[in-house]
Amino acid sequence: MESIEKKLTDLYLYNRDLIDEDLPDYIIGSRREALESFNILGLPDRKSEKYKYSDIKSRYELYNYEKYFSLFGNNPPNPEKILTESLEIKIVNGYSGGELHVLSNGIIYGSLRNAANDFTELVKRYYNKLAVNDKDSVSALNTMFMQDGAFIYVPKNTIADTPFTISNLYDAGENTYAYNRNLIIFEENSSSKVIFNSKTSDNTAYLINGLSEVFVEKNASSEILVLQRENNLSTHLSNFYSEQAENSNLRISVISTDGGLIRNNWNVYLRGKNAETHNYGLYISGCGQSIDNHTNIEHLVPDCTSFEKYKGIVSGDGKGIFNGRILVEKDAQRTRAFQENHNLILSDVATIDSKPQLEIYADDVKCSHGATVGQLDENAIFYMRQRGISEATARKLQMYGFINDIVGEIGIMDISDKINDIATKKIERL
Amino acid sequence: MLTINNLHATVGDKEILKGINLEVNEGEVHAIMGPNGSGKSTLASVLAGNDKFEVTEGSVIFNGKNLLDMSIEERACEGIFLGFQYPVEIPGVSMANFLKHAVDEQRKCRGEEPLGAADFLKLMREKAKVVEIESKLTNRAVNEGFSGGEKKKNEIFQMAMLDPKLAILDETDSGLDIDALRVVATGVTKLKRPDNATIVITHYQRLLDYIVPDYVHVLYNGKIIKTAGRDIALELEEKGYDWLIKDYR
Repeated sequence: MESIEKKLTDLYLYNRDLIDEDLPDYIIGSRREALESFNILGLPDRKSEKYKYSDIKSRYELYNYEKYFSLFGNNPPNPEKILTESLEIKIVNGYSGGELHVLSNGIIYGSLRNAANDFTELVKRYYNKLAVNDKDSVSALNTMFMQDGAFIYVPKNTIADTPFTISNLYDAGENTYAYNRNLIIFEENSSSKVIFNSKTSDNTAYLINGLSEVFVEKNASSEILVLQRENNLSTHLSNFYSEQAENSNLRISVISTDGGLIRNNWNVYLRGKNAETHNYGLYISGCGQSIDNHTNIEHLVPDCTSFEKYKGIVSGDGKGIFNGRILVEKDAQRTRAFQENHNLILSDVATIDSKPQLEIYADDVKCSHGATVGQLDENAIFYMRQRGISEATARKLQMYGFINDIVGEIGIMDISDKINDIATKKIERL
Repeated sequence: MLTINNLHATVGDKEILKGINLEVNEGEVHAIMGPNGSGKSTLASVLAGNDKFEVTEGSVIFNGKNLLDMSIEERACEGIFLGFQYPVEIPGVSMANFLKHAVDEQRKCRGEEPLGAADFLKLMREKAKVVEIESKLTNRAVNEGFSGGEKKKNEIFQMAMLDPKLAILDETDSGLDIDALRVVATGVTKLKRPDNATIVITHYQRLLDYIVPDYVHVLYNGKIIKTAGRDIALELEEKGYDWLIKDYR
């Protein structure tokens, strides 16, 4: 039988004219390199250490890759509006529809495909500079097949008061591959907030391969919230790369409440002194769901700080995976890095795999990590029931309490209530 | 109000309560004393419905209903309140949220509408005064980071909020300094009415200076071996338990 890798490379090679159409040379050039990497790497299976809890290869084999091309020219419904007021980029099955906005203060947002052509110099300077295609074949596939996605550019000294929302809707009606590629540039002294809202609208199978590159330059401060709600037949592979310069601050929260298989790779590179990053995650995994977060925070220079806290609830036969790598390079003295991962298991067959992975080569650092896996506290449930609260409510209250601090870390005020609502509704369904 | 008849209870295969008989009427305060391990806290837990314990014999009738047939929360709705010896911390759940649920669920049992937010806040402020707790305490997570004294005051605050028919206070005085003890005891006294009752479980007669009991029961080895007026508490303080329990060893 023909291997899935062969099928994918053939798909690319036979259709490269179509795939490359109307895209600039630097994007096409990056595809060729990604193809070479993919040929060497192949798709990861369970033998791969990095992907041992999420079998990507067999997921790729599940889907009908030919559907990748039929997505052109679809006329899908509007994605849900998560915020009433926002600078919105609508992306359906990986395509934005070509809108690109240039505001009077210099902000550019909209289709990456259009930006790549209209603002060639700008996009070229950043595009594919962070993605590690030669080590991660899921990233390589994204670089090979990407067609469109979101582009956000916030120029120097600009404060974007209104948040950006990237509404990713998957609505193809049948088995589909969807690739989306995002490029976000926050220049010096800028400040901005971005919400990624990813959702499937129907209950058909999707394989979503998303890749985001985020540049946070000197003194810039930004917050990114990622919300993932997909059906149980879907697979969502997401590679996120961010690079921070001196004195920058980036806060990332990821809230995953539904998905057949979600695998997020978070790569955070602290490349300028005094950069600070906050990474928060919440995953609530029920029957038929598996949510896998791999974080990789790299302290590459001295005096940077990272805070990381992920919390998970698993029930039914749900799975939760957290792998938190923190790298402190030899020269990265006075690093402060703190990691926590806490999990609640609600059933006998649900599983949690939690793995802190600290690699510290500097000798003057302050680092800590802690991982817990536990059940609901029966004493607390008795206490609440003694006050008249029903057992079911007592259990839920304890779970709301458990996730409370993660939701509380979301700084985009207009949305934290909504996130709380989404998370509590999911808990009610467990 | 409460009639306990020949109550036996076990944990695992160990019998802890070995035939308790007790009658509590409206308006009464009962104190239960006894050496460590005599079964005082077990009695409180069994009355509250803690399923760590198994009732093997006997009956408990509360206001004409069979208490042992009810779930923990049904008992609470019927008006049983347990003041915990070790109040439990519930991270991430604010006192206000916790009490709103408790008050509303108890109202639901009585066929009443949930309390409006303004009325609820008013009630909280009013009741916080009973135990002299700071209102900011109600914004914090249930018992999390509370001092020993605050935890016990918080139990009485919850009792004030829920207005039970029968409050069972399990060693509410343990771990309290003199000032906190006075506040807690005064709070309990303020909540006393002709139509409710209190069972106070304690080691020390100190508490009974403030909460004056109508009856003092001495529990030993799973049985009430003596019932008397409050004076026996003073006698126990002075002489210890030995003279009383030596015949029951």
